[in-house]
Amino acid sequence: MNEKERLLNVLKGDRVDRPPVICPGGMMSACVTEISDQVGGGHHTSSKAMVSAARKINELIGFENYGVPFCLTSEVEALGACVNLGDNLIEPRITRYNDKSLEVIMETYSPNEVTPVRMGIVLEAIRELRNSRVPVIGNISGHISTATSVVDPLEMFKLLRRDPERAARFMAFINDYLIRYALKMVKAGADVISISDPTATGEILGPRNFQKFAVPYYQNIIKALHQEGIPVILHICGNASNIVAALNEVEANAVSFDSIVNMKTAREKVKTGLMGNVSTQLLHTGEREKILSIIRNALHSEVDIVAPACGLSMATSVSNLKAMTDYVKEGYYK
Amino acid sequence: MDKETLFREISHALVEFEVEKVAELAEQTLLQNIPAFETITEGLVTGMKEVSRLFEEEEYFLPEVLMCSDAFNAGLEVVNPHLDKASLEKPIKMVIGVVEGDTHDIGKNLVGILSGASGFEVYDLGRDVPLDRFIEKAEEVESDMICMSTLMTTTMDGMKTVIDRLIERNIRDKYKVLIGGGPISQTFCDKIGADLYANDASSAVRKAKELMGRV
Repeated sequence: MNEKERLLNVLKGDRVDRPPVICPGGMMSACVTEISDQVGGGHHTSSKAMVSAARKINELIGFENYGVPFCLTSEVEALGACVNLGDNLIEPRITRYNDKSLEVIMETYSPNEVTPVRMGIVLEAIRELRNSRVPVIGNISGHISTATSVVDPLEMFKLLRRDPERAARFMAFINDYLIRYALKMVKAGADVISISDPTATGEILGPRNFQKFAVPYYQNIIKALHQEGIPVILHICGNASNIVAALNEVEANAVSFDSIVNMKTAREKVKTGLMGNVSTQLLHTGEREKILSIIRNALHSEVDIVAPACGLSMATSVSNLKAMTDYVKEGYYK
Repeated sequence: MDKETLFREISHALVEFEVEKVAELAEQTLLQNIPAFETITEGLVTGMKEVSRLFEEEEYFLPEVLMCSDAFNAGLEVVNPHLDKASLEKPIKMVIGVVEGDTHDIGKNLVGILSGASGFEVYDLGRDVPLDRFIEKAEEVESDMICMSTLMTTTMDGMKTVIDRLIERNIRDKYKVLIGGGPISQTFCDKIGADLYANDASSAVRKAKELMGRV
């Protein structure tokens, strides 16, 4: 069973020899400083460097996938927010929101155009990475995180309550944009789409807003991808305990949680695949034995896919990450 | 409407985040010559206390708290010009920001909003704040507290740097240092010698008040 078969089988709900160990990309980027230094930088802006970084993560760290891009900012930048691309130590981040009105933004950025700026580079990298052995994961930012990165998040959150219809129109526009982008990724050769929506955490939105402004939109994008036969992973940050039940309704192939979520409890409630949730703080600063012991816990909780719990610090060592992938591949089953 | 009913109505409208209604009711208090101080403490602040409670009980979340805060500010804007400053207790001054290298500011904003609504004088430095800036600002405004937040493991050590620099300059005792954010814990707080750790915005405000001897 090769890496691609294993991941795709697990996402279909079929039996596999052991759980895959992956780092999907996007906000869960394993392009840590050591890898970025080897690539020589440029992994956010050149498809060649992006491809090189994705391959090194698979070869040197042992994560069983290729995943691009290494941020959640390319789609946001394309919708008029300003991004600082960071460097070998700091990941890209939003520096200024689009200050136009929602209606102007919706009018300006035609939903048909999903290849500007760095999105085209990501698609190019996916085309280059496609192969029969290692699964290629295309990463997009969820609609809540995208919407609250394009415009001032506090204004957006208030709008959910002040003018729910207007907020819903904007969310639908964003989601439509993301669906088109994800479908382009599929066309380019992505085997799996991973949606990360860090801002959609139940801690920020609460269960009622999550049900109203998150669930239906996930359903739409996942349905569109399932029509193409593409499995979907959905990652939610923070404490998701109050929205675990709602997540069953979105019918993702796997859901991924932060380290604060108890996977034993989640396993009992989540009907779909479960991915996670190796503490990124431990991966960054912890000792090897401690890291292995929490992976053991995750495996005992019957996660289907072992992965970091959240975004990795760029200062995380390759050796800690390698300890993680080695353990899942060998240690536990020998 | 008598004074007590008016205050109750203000609190209620604030909790229901009816921004315009809070402003209208605040106008009414002025027409009835009710002292602005009373409207603030017994109407607006009482409402925000209820909002804090609902937030802590996970009945309200960020969108609701932000709307309530708008309602609070709308009421405050109406009565503030009529406030007799002599009736005020000296406010606790707080310098707050997200430490350098990190731009996640939702938690920090929430602490800032709830602190402001509880009568703190808040100096918000924003996000990705250079470490020395916390100290400079605190010195400049003669702050009582320095509050730092971060969501990332890479930037949390910046909090220790700020405390170390306060010690170097022999001004550590002038400030209470409050820290919070995703990876922060009581253990980390003890380790770096901060004064207070809080794991959510509502308890941050309560604990900060207790620490300053105001309950």
